[in-house]
Amino acid sequence: MTAWLAGTWRRSSTWVIVGPFAIVLAFPFYWALTTTFKHDLDLYNQKSIPYTYNDASGHAHWDFWNYMTFHHVSFLFKHTEYPTWLLNTAIVGVAVVAITLVLALPAGYALARLSGAWGQMAGVGIFLVYLVPPTLLFLPLSRLIAELNLQDTLWAMILVYPSFTVPFATWLLMGFFKTIPQELEDAALVDGCSRLKALWRIVFPVSVPGILTVVIFAFSLCVNEFIYAFTFTSSTSERTISAGVPNELIRGDVFFWQSLMAAVLIPSIPLALLYNSFLDRFIKGFTGGAFR
Amino acid sequence: MAVAAGGLARAGRSRRRHLLEQNRVLGPLLISPAVLFVVVVVGVPLGWAIYLSMTNAIGGSLSGKFVGFDNFRAAWRDQNFRNALENTLIITFAVQAIVVVSAAVLSNALVRDFRGKWFVRLLIVLPWAAPVSLVTIGWLWIFDSLFSIVNWTLKELHLLGVVCAAFGVHGCGASNPPQWLGNDKLAMFAIIVVQAWRIIPFAVIIFIAGRSSIPTEVEDAVKIDGASALKKLWYVDLPLQLPIALVAVLFGIVFTAADFAVVFILTHGGPFNSTQVLTTWAYTVGIDSGSLGEGAAISLFLFPLLIAVTILMLFFAKRAQVS
Amino acid sequence: MAKDGDELEVVSSGLSREDLLKRGAAGAFAVSMFGGLAERAHAFAGPMKFKGRQLKGDLSILQWAHFVPAYDQWLDSTYIKQWGEKNDVQVKVDHINNALLPSAAAAEVAAQKGHDMVQFLFPPSALEKSTLPMNDIVQEVTKKLGKMTDVAYRSTYNPKTKRYFGFPDNYVPDPIQYRKSMWFNVGIAPNTWENVRKAAPLLKKAGHPVGLGMSNELDSNMFLMSLLYCYGSSLQDANGNPAINNKGTIAALNLMKDIYQNGMSDEVFAWTAASNNQAFLAGRLSMAVNAISIARSAEDSGNTALSDDTWLRPIPKGSTRALGNEHVMGIYFIWRFAQNKEAAKQYIVDQQLGYRNHFLQSKFYNFPAWTNAVKGGFKAMNKLAAADKHKPLGKYTILTTIAQRYTTNVGYPGFANAAIGDIFNQSLIPQMFAQVAQGKMTAAAAAASYQSQFKTIFAKWKGQGLL
Repeated sequence: MTAWLAGTWRRSSTWVIVGPFAIVLAFPFYWALTTTFKHDLDLYNQKSIPYTYNDASGHAHWDFWNYMTFHHVSFLFKHTEYPTWLLNTAIVGVAVVAITLVLALPAGYALARLSGAWGQMAGVGIFLVYLVPPTLLFLPLSRLIAELNLQDTLWAMILVYPSFTVPFATWLLMGFFKTIPQELEDAALVDGCSRLKALWRIVFPVSVPGILTVVIFAFSLCVNEFIYAFTFTSSTSERTISAGVPNELIRGDVFFWQSLMAAVLIPSIPLALLYNSFLDRFIKGFTGGAFR
Repeated sequence: MAVAAGGLARAGRSRRRHLLEQNRVLGPLLISPAVLFVVVVVGVPLGWAIYLSMTNAIGGSLSGKFVGFDNFRAAWRDQNFRNALENTLIITFAVQAIVVVSAAVLSNALVRDFRGKWFVRLLIVLPWAAPVSLVTIGWLWIFDSLFSIVNWTLKELHLLGVVCAAFGVHGCGASNPPQWLGNDKLAMFAIIVVQAWRIIPFAVIIFIAGRSSIPTEVEDAVKIDGASALKKLWYVDLPLQLPIALVAVLFGIVFTAADFAVVFILTHGGPFNSTQVLTTWAYTVGIDSGSLGEGAAISLFLFPLLIAVTILMLFFAKRAQVS
Repeated sequence: MAKDGDELEVVSSGLSREDLLKRGAAGAFAVSMFGGLAERAHAFAGPMKFKGRQLKGDLSILQWAHFVPAYDQWLDSTYIKQWGEKNDVQVKVDHINNALLPSAAAAEVAAQKGHDMVQFLFPPSALEKSTLPMNDIVQEVTKKLGKMTDVAYRSTYNPKTKRYFGFPDNYVPDPIQYRKSMWFNVGIAPNTWENVRKAAPLLKKAGHPVGLGMSNELDSNMFLMSLLYCYGSSLQDANGNPAINNKGTIAALNLMKDIYQNGMSDEVFAWTAASNNQAFLAGRLSMAVNAISIARSAEDSGNTALSDDTWLRPIPKGSTRALGNEHVMGIYFIWRFAQNKEAAKQYIVDQQLGYRNHFLQSKFYNFPAWTNAVKGGFKAMNKLAAADKHKPLGKYTILTTIAQRYTTNVGYPGFANAAIGDIFNQSLIPQMFAQVAQGKMTAAAAAASYQSQFKTIFAKWKGQGLL
């Protein structure tokens, strides 16, 4: 009995700690969800009870579902190019992640294994590139993009984003590769493998957690980026969500709040699900990576 | 690139193959693509930004007269700049304090097994999954001047007075609810909340990673010793987590100090210039006011600062780990 | 991205084949990769039906997302298509959020590439070195339509360089929008600022404060400058010297401080450009200074009680006069690096000459820079506005009066030069008012301090040879 009580307490004590945090962290999303389905006359009514749905005169009803509207979600899909922006975001994200891996995997490995004392320094050096302030860098970069004739295409972002994902990824992977026992490779080398073959066949496969960490991290950095996405593209059809949504759904004097909130939720929830299901491996990747 | 090199190796002329086995050849070969890329895409524009910072270039033209360090001096003399620098430091440190404490508590709880853990973890990673520019607009709605859900809730709970008093906002109450983005103190607070909110998930993950790297032998040894939870936290968990906490703090600092979107969207530096940070102030001066040179100088101020912090952090992380 | 139209073939994705070839391998990859986007992508408007006309090629325009969304819809799907067919030019208009126009323009200058022309909502005076002088087409239009309005002239002409750095397309009158019933209840009319000062506490007590923003955004910026004019002050004198340190400024600052402390709440410091609309539409505000987007949104909202009670009137009179800025000033400019300058000029001229449609489609929001661009001038515009069926009937007719008598340019009584643009873009005037209202500075200290700040700004632009 006491054991049962103690167990219950242990379980609930965790909830007492975690619960408030979870509520605070998730609240903006709950609020976004509530807002998404509101009628204008409900939303912009000071008499309305904001947590539920009200009629035009601001009275809440138990059958709140009768006072919801899908109008603003369908507006997002029918009258803006939101689906295109989602797709663009995915394309840019995937392409950048691919480029990041292609550049950072060999570099991280080399810094970890092949480059003695200066490797550590070089690793930190590469990481420092991550700190370059982007605020005004978009001006010279837009020149670079124009020279390459990539203005107003997704390629502009695909080219530029690795500038902040590669430094971080290299640094992370460097740490990760150091945790992989040298013996593993040596065995392969004895078997007559070349170093590159050993890298490809032995080292990379056991580095999956580290790679996954880089993938998730690089992808989320891409989705977050705002200034470059905004200044390098101007056609509605070439925008990613972080540039397209603020631009099309805030029309100077009017914020389309409901559609804006839907636009926040739609990418966030699947991404959160994805991140959450990879979280354990991600954690492993980080444990191996950052601290050795 | 690795694939291409692998293909070459397989083609297999023995001499080349032999060379590829040597560290001093293979190492630079593997690193060079990344370095080349970074130099071209970051180095060239950065060089240009440094050049700009030493000219009197304006928005409508590309070049200007060389003026040496005048822009830096002019920026430094400007009270708005100092204010922005101070705000950047305040926000960055306050956010880190909140993040570290929250992440320590949360990670401590999240390593345990409990029912509904998966779901709770989902809620906690949500802020990290949302694009910053969009979710900040979400916060703009939360802090809306008229329909703020925070104010509505506080009012229903009869807590408005308490909050107003806590922030010392003059004349604030039910008929004049706190304006989270319209009062300098409240706006700073709002920015700190949003920044901490979006960084906590990341820090929690790093902290969990750090905990799971504590060898189980240590845990076992502590259990046998029968040390109290508090003692264990102080003598075992904290020292062992220090390096990882430092890494989380390092990233937190970079994320906060170099961020532009949150302040730009939430307050645009207002009311008046009371919530400007270096990034938004550089934008105001460089783009809005058209003084490209001075704007570039302001945006470069942050760079050496961050480098110093980073090197310091990495150094301490290393030392903490060795000992 | 404009180029010779002869070989140009438009693939459905909106990228020309030539474009793709230019990008070489990357382009080829793009076709396979982005093929799926084809359906939704933004296409250049207008099939090439009329080969062999004078103008050829593409014309790309960047302008704001209009506050009356229906206008953009009409412009994109009807107007530019028709114009494009007539002139054998493929027109593409990209719309962006007005607050982000400066950064987009800065990026295009840096890149030396981008759209052929851009429409700004405030004078692009600082960009003069990168834009084409418009003197020729200004003359051309003037020949046909007579003199342009003074607002337009002073917003686009630089007397120092004798150049039109931009082409004035339209300006937007900035009326007061107020709730008739609420003002009736307190028994005061919003015709002078003294009356507003008197009414504000009463209206606040009734739960419906006046809404005069003091935030870093467009509406506050325009309105607070207007308030300075009403009290005989201005940012600069007629010769382009900073002139804000005077009694008028102090009076205006103290007036706003008074109105704020007794009649408003802290919300006015937190506002975005959308906030006064939102608060007005929620039925909270009894007065706001904004273009007619508030009245129009009220009509669209379905809340007829509110909409019928929303009246318009000219800016109240201060101690000196009643005079206000235009709400926005639509100015086209063509980059020096534009690919299709001829088409751009033709587009601008044609749009002005046929402005009647734009006036109507923007629901009387845009007024043409040349009054005669709507045949019959203000009289005709007044008639068109009188036909509007929304209650109170005829409310929009006041707009022509405002345009005629109560509207001036940013930078009054001088020109909208680069220094004024700088002050405007930095929102320095709302900052000055906010600091005084919140008691961070006395009115006199603020006037002096901002005068010295202005001096630095004017010196900077003089150094650049622009004033």
